[in-house]
Order: sequence, then C-alpha cells, then structure tokens
Amino acid sequence: MTAQILELINVVADGTAATKDEAIREAGELLVAAGAVTQAYVDSMFDREASVSTYMGNFLAIPHGTNEAKESILHSALSLVRYDTPIDWDGNPVRFAVGIAGLNNEHLAILSKIAIVFSDEDEVEKLIDAADAGEMYSLLEEVNAE
Amino acid sequence: MTTTSTDTKSGGGARVHVQRFGTFLSGMIMPNIAAFIAWGLITAFFIPTGWTPNESIAKMVGPMIVYLLPLLIANTGGRMVYGVRGGVIATIATMGVIVGSEIPMFIGAMLVGPLSAYLLKKLDGLWAGKIRPGFEMLVDNFSSGILGAILALAAFFGIAPVVTAFSTALEGGVNWLVANHLLPLASILVEPGKVLFLNNAINHGVFTPIGVQQVAESGKSVLFLIEANPGPGLGILLAFTFFGVGLARASAPGAIIIQFLGGIHEIYFPYVLMKPMLILAAIGGGMTGVAINVAFQTGLRAPASPGSIFAVLLQTAPDSYVGVILSVIGSAAVSFLIASVILRSSRKRDLENGEDGDLSAAVSKTEAMKGKSSSVLSGLAAAGTTDAAAAAAAGHQLSNIVFACDAGMGSSAMGASVLRNKIKKAGLTGITVTNQAIANLDGTADLVITHQDLTARAQQKSPASVHVSVSNFMNSPKYDEVVDLLQSKADSEATL
Repeated sequence: MTAQILELINVVADGTAATKDEAIREAGELLVAAGAVTQAYVDSMFDREASVSTYMGNFLAIPHGTNEAKESILHSALSLVRYDTPIDWDGNPVRFAVGIAGLNNEHLAILSKIAIVFSDEDEVEKLIDAADAGEMYSLLEEVNAE
Repeated sequence: MTTTSTDTKSGGGARVHVQRFGTFLSGMIMPNIAAFIAWGLITAFFIPTGWTPNESIAKMVGPMIVYLLPLLIANTGGRMVYGVRGGVIATIATMGVIVGSEIPMFIGAMLVGPLSAYLLKKLDGLWAGKIRPGFEMLVDNFSSGILGAILALAAFFGIAPVVTAFSTALEGGVNWLVANHLLPLASILVEPGKVLFLNNAINHGVFTPIGVQQVAESGKSVLFLIEANPGPGLGILLAFTFFGVGLARASAPGAIIIQFLGGIHEIYFPYVLMKPMLILAAIGGGMTGVAINVAFQTGLRAPASPGSIFAVLLQTAPDSYVGVILSVIGSAAVSFLIASVILRSSRKRDLENGEDGDLSAAVSKTEAMKGKSSSVLSGLAAAGTTDAAAAAAAGHQLSNIVFACDAGMGSSAMGASVLRNKIKKAGLTGITVTNQAIANLDGTADLVITHQDLTARAQQKSPASVHVSVSNFMNSPKYDEVVDLLQSKADSEATL
C-alpha cells in the first residue's frame, strides 16, 4: 500500500535543482512522470508555494498543489529528492523536497512516517548520510516496519 | 489556632477525597443551574397552583425535569470525564435510566453519565494511536455509537432499578428525619460540611435531587433551605461587625453584602475557619432555621441558587413567606447570639495578642481547603508555556486537536503525525489529533494549530477554538508546550 504511494523510482538521492523554483519543478515532474498528476498540478504547486511556504523545518520542504487543484491528481503519489547543496527556500536551508499528490488521504500513512522521521534530527542525519536512493528508501521503510 | 491546624492535617486525606468527590458532584450541577432556574420560574408561574396558571405552558414542566435537567447533568458529568465525546455518550446512556424508571433520575444521571464517559475513555484507549490516519472519525463515531447503545440498554435494565431503590432509601432517610421532627439535626452535618466548601456538593448533590422530587409531589420542599438559608452566615458576619477585632471586623460589613444579598456563602467560611468554635453558631443557626420551616410546614419550590435572600424569596412557595422569612431571621438571630458570646469571650485575648483576627492566615487556609482544582488550572497557565493561546487553553477541554493548512494535504498532515507521535510517547490517551483544510474547519476543534501565516484565517473559521501558531512543523517547541499542557491537564484530571 505505502509502496504504491512512494515508489523507489520516485526517490532521487542527488537532485539537480539549485533554486526553490527548480526544486518544485523537479518534484512536480517526478509526480507527472509517475502518472500521478497532470501538468496543471505542477503549476498549482507554484500557486501554493506563493501563498505560504511549504518549508517544514529540519531541512524539509513539501511542495504540493492547492486545494482547488485536487482535480488534477490522477492517483496519490509522493516523490522524495535530496540535494547535496542546501537550497534557499524562502531563507531556509532545504536538503529534502517531498512532492505530494494526495487524494482521499491515501498518502497520509506514508506521509506521517516521513513526518516522524524528519521530526527526529538523528534520523535526518542518517538520510543526509545515506549512500543512495535505495538506502534512503529503506530508512523510511524501517519506520514503516516499526 | 495550633489545634486547628493539627485537626486539619490529620483529617486531610479523607477530607481531600470527600471534597474532590464533592467538587465533582457540584461540577456536574453548577453549570446547569441556569436550567434549574428556568425550570423553577416556569414552574412557579404556570403550574395549576402557580402565580399565573397556564395549562399548555405547564406542559413543559414535566419533560424539563424528567429529560432536560438529568440529561444536562449527565452531559456535563460526561464532559468532565472525557470531553465532548464523553458528554455525548453520557447523555445516550442516561436515556436508559430515565426511561427505565418512574422518578426524575438525577442521581442516576450523576452516576451513569460519568461512568459511561469513563468506559468510553477506556475503550478508546485500547486502540488509541493504532488507527490508520483518515479512519479516526469512522472508528470514533461507531465505537461510541455502539457502546452508547449497549450502555443505554444496560442502564435501562440494570441501573435504573438500583438507582430507584437507592433514591427511595435516601428519600426515606430524609423523610424519617422529617416524620420524627429530627430534620434540624441535619444541620449538625451540613454546616461543618459547608465551611469545608462542600456546600455545593451537599446542596446540589443531596438536597436538590430529593427536593425536586418533593416539589413534584407537594409543590414545595424545605430541603432547598437547609443549606441555602443565608441566615446563619449573616448572623456570624454581624457578630464580627460588632464584636470582632481588626481586619475581620472591618471587612465583615462588606462580606454581609456579598453573602446575604449576593448569595455567595463562601465569603463567610474564612471567618469560621479562623475561629473554629464559630461552627457552633452556624449549626445553631441552621437548626433554628430548619426547625422554624418544619414547624410552619414551609418550603421553596426550586433550589435557591445562589443562596441569596432574593433567590430564596423568589423561590418561596406562595403559602410559605411567613415561615421562610421567619426562618431566615431566626437563624440569623441565633447564630449571631452564639457567635457574639464566642467572640466576646476571646476578644480580650485576641486584642492582647495583636491578632488581627488572623484573617489573612485564614484566607490562605481557605484557599488551600478549596482543593487544587482551580489553583492547578491557573498555575498551569503559568507553568511551562509562554504562549498566550496555551495560557488561554488552561480552562478548555483539549481532547480534539486539529492541524489545519491550506489544502489539508501536506503540512498539516505531517504536523499532526509529529504531534500524535509525541502525545503517544507521553502516554496520554483520549486525545485525537487530526488534520484538515482550513476551509473545512467546522468550529468543533478544541485546539487548532496552524502555520503562523494562516492563523488569522483559521481563527475566522473556528473562533471558539484555542489557536496555536507554529513556524516550523517538524520541530516546533510549541509541540512540547502543547504536550506539557496536555500532560498537566491529564494529571490534574486524574486526581479528581
């Protein structure tokens, strides 16, 4: 169930974006590529970002669309991109961008795992030190197993 | 004074328990006093023997006392144990007792209400934090719906007969005192209880339920006057006005206004606590008042609350004015005489000792007596939170916490997960944390947590909730403040 929402293929260990806008686009395109959302959803992610920053704290940002753009979601999916160089996210350093497309709260189980991982600074450190996407994915899986 | 403090100490444990229980009982009744007054007024005016009889309006009287008042009490009792959910299930279950019995079910409501809420709390505890996100509402509604139906059935078959029997026995006890002209003896227990701040528990917990039944039968009850008669307190305060020393003497006239006219009896308790012998004056006055009312066969038609002379006269049955007024005057006179003798005999010594009547010490003793409920709550606001919203939360129920953000899809869901995790780790139960889009807030959340940029919008949508702003959803110090707040709240409630 959770595997369907966040698939290993949507976890990227070395993101290429250097700015916030590029990072939002990168997260959005992963969701488009997964067939989860249409291009319109990616545009709404910028609208959402313009209203209130999606910076969450602990190096994490969670770009996602607006309430109105939920129609552009085909199925629930998450993407996770890590950046070696912190991205300036409205003045905050971001190392991880989680792109979210959520319908009917299907994504909440995995998102809540991610939240709990990221609320623990030691776990964040492990994610930063992870060798590749596979290791990042399994760090999140460990939480799943608990 | 030394002897008093020793007495207080040795009797402390039991007293604290009795008082907590009393606080709990009166806590169920006090918020609903308005409904009692409304019922009392409608009854006074419109029943066949009322001031302006009206048959169709009087139809309200029955349903109000059979359903409205007990259900309100049950709901309040349930809320005290387990928030809004507790209140709902308490009300459901109490329907079983009401329909299952012939008499107004006040004691049944006070028993079944909190018990049902407690059972639901335990049931919720079984799967707290184990429900998949998004399913909480479904599980919550069906678990309390099913348990509510079962409890209502159990109450209908099991508890109603027991409560009927208990109520009959209690009523029999009071009736026995009445029949044997011994009702004045009740003052020996009532007056000391009052001064220990059990006044509301005694009046609303014991006398009001039985009294209301007597009213249903005979249109009035003397029981409403046993505790609420402002006479004994007036006599004691008058004695201080004339024969007291220092601060106690200077403050007594003002206290009379608050006590006799305003009906706040608590104001004279410190005066008795600082001279415990004065309890004899209160008992004497109380017995006199009851005796006069028994002799004249007078009573009130509804509880006089607060126990002000105005409330007493407003609720006096039309045929009872002479007896009731005499009972107030008589009880004041007797307590004044006894208190005067006590005060005069110790006056010289008090003056020599330069004791200001020790009022300030007695006041602080009174505050300690009052139990922890209020002081804990006010202290709670100061302890560990710097947040104005959290401080405001001190008096609130906090069982329903909602994280809100624009879409209800991302940040609020993550914030809710983090806080839920922290609450679970702190071992707290009975608290739900959910997330929503701000647009979907329906005003029922106890506490709403939002990003600082969105708090203003959330406040508009849910004005009755306490609002907390965060800037960092992952690692906000506010979460720990909220958990601390919940923890101390749980601690203080657990001791009830």
